[in-house]
Amino acid sequence: MPIPEPAWIGNFRRALLRMETLVAGGSLLLLLALVFGQVLARNFFDSSIPSADILSRYLVLYITFFGGALAVDYDKHIRLDVIAACLPVERCRKFKPPLYLVSAVVCAVFAWAAGRFWYDDWQYVAEHERWSSILALVTPFGFGLLALNFLLAGLFASRSGNPAP
Amino acid sequence: MTFLIITVLVLLALLGLPLFVALAGGSLLATFNAGLDPALLIVELNRLASSPYLAAIPLFTLAGVVLAAGGAPERMIQLFNAMVGWLPGGMAAVAIASCAFFTAFSGASGVTILALGGLMFPMLLHAGYSERLNLGLLTTSGSLGLLFPPSLAILLYGIVAGVSIDEMFLAGIVPGLLLMLMLGLFCLYVGTRHSVPRHKFSWTNLGRAAREGFWDILLPIGVIVGIFGGFLTITEASACTAIYVLVLEVVIHREIHLGKHLMPILSDTTILVGSILIILSVAMGLTNLLIDAQVPMIILGWMEEHVDTQLQFLLLLNIFLLVVGAMMDIFSATVVVVPLVLPIALRYGVDPVHLGIIFLANLEIGYSTPPVGINLFIASQRFGRPVLSLFRAALPFLALMLIWLALVTYIPAISLWWRG
Repeated sequence: MPIPEPAWIGNFRRALLRMETLVAGGSLLLLLALVFGQVLARNFFDSSIPSADILSRYLVLYITFFGGALAVDYDKHIRLDVIAACLPVERCRKFKPPLYLVSAVVCAVFAWAAGRFWYDDWQYVAEHERWSSILALVTPFGFGLLALNFLLAGLFASRSGNPAP
Repeated sequence: MTFLIITVLVLLALLGLPLFVALAGGSLLATFNAGLDPALLIVELNRLASSPYLAAIPLFTLAGVVLAAGGAPERMIQLFNAMVGWLPGGMAAVAIASCAFFTAFSGASGVTILALGGLMFPMLLHAGYSERLNLGLLTTSGSLGLLFPPSLAILLYGIVAGVSIDEMFLAGIVPGLLLMLMLGLFCLYVGTRHSVPRHKFSWTNLGRAAREGFWDILLPIGVIVGIFGGFLTITEASACTAIYVLVLEVVIHREIHLGKHLMPILSDTTILVGSILIILSVAMGLTNLLIDAQVPMIILGWMEEHVDTQLQFLLLLNIFLLVVGAMMDIFSATVVVVPLVLPIALRYGVDPVHLGIIFLANLEIGYSTPPVGINLFIASQRFGRPVLSLFRAALPFLALMLIWLALVTYIPAISLWWRG
């Protein structure tokens, strides 16, 4: 059973939620501005925004990982839950903490693998491409963030009784 | 040991483990078994990120969420009601047209039933349609526009299968219209048989509704002309759609106040995009490992022994996909199943664009079938009725959809019409 959430954990989760919302939403707005800017630049000024393609690909990854973290917070990840759908709500709630902890372990392993991949890449990347390599940190960081969110949701019951803030 | 871990993962998934975690766990197991470095899975993720169409998914999703948060559902109902509401079965046709329009933009994520169901249900009851017909109609209509551009499901299929998304958008138009026509004719029959009272056609009402909904109607036309006229790429069209919809709701109709609504809209969009793309991120690694392990070839070997013709293959495919559609949601099914089915379908001479339409048509039906058809659960929540009674109400519509599925599957020209 999850333990009651201490006040400082609650504050930390709320701060984390705000940060995730800002980064995910900001990335989405930036992506919109970038792609629309490309349309304007191409059609009206016969030019293009430098490195816009690379940047927009990374922005999609930022939206994916931070949006994925928000989906943990709001308990909105896609599930099959055929068995859970047939069980009473109270019983389903009991299954959630251990499932969150399993999810935290799997995401942590992915974060570790992504971190190793990023570090290998970083060692050989050309000087002028370092900026994109820094942006690529989103992969290990994103999986780490997912692991942290699952861990918190698995360990602590929020004050409202829901697994998420 | 491997079998045990897979069994545990499947069991946990059925108990409610997020699907992407179950797939990620499976990917890790497959890499360890093959003696490979799990960092390989990150290579697949980076390969996915380089897809030129990927940025279109969050931007079209944003457009759908903005439309749902604004007044588009009411305007659509008003307009279609003024146009066809006076016909026998007209109000039911309004529901079909509004749901199809709305689902094409909102991505069949259940938003249609939530946004339109609540508005249409009392209107249909008031117009004299039976409760059972209304529930069946609104439950199945929740996924009706799935084949129309710029549907997220089509985008995702194109990305996963490596098929031209322009062609997929074209291919979906006629099957989508055919389904609307079939359901519309059924409603016309019911409306006539039960002598549902009709309201009078009014030019004044049509003019008022057309003024209100004029800018909304331009939206699908703009997307189609922009993409197929060669003026915009898919991603550029998605950005233009999102900007257009924002201007429409914020400046023209003033339904959305940026200070108050922007953050919830961004949050809803990124949650939806995050929950779909994270599955895609981890599943591509797993499916590629399965392909490396020759899994599709093993299935193909078995099928070549037992299945002789394309017709038999398509029949089996339909049965398999209907089961998949009843068990998985459309996005995860696309990511997991398409890479495995595609090489086999190619071997039997099925066009990948046609396969995409068959695939999505099956899953569209799966949305309204137990045990996990998402439309049933959302409609149950929205209308306060048990899932089983909604399924019973949806049966006549599902029967019609099965006939439509057979037509789409066995007459490729319906999907590949533009190739002559």
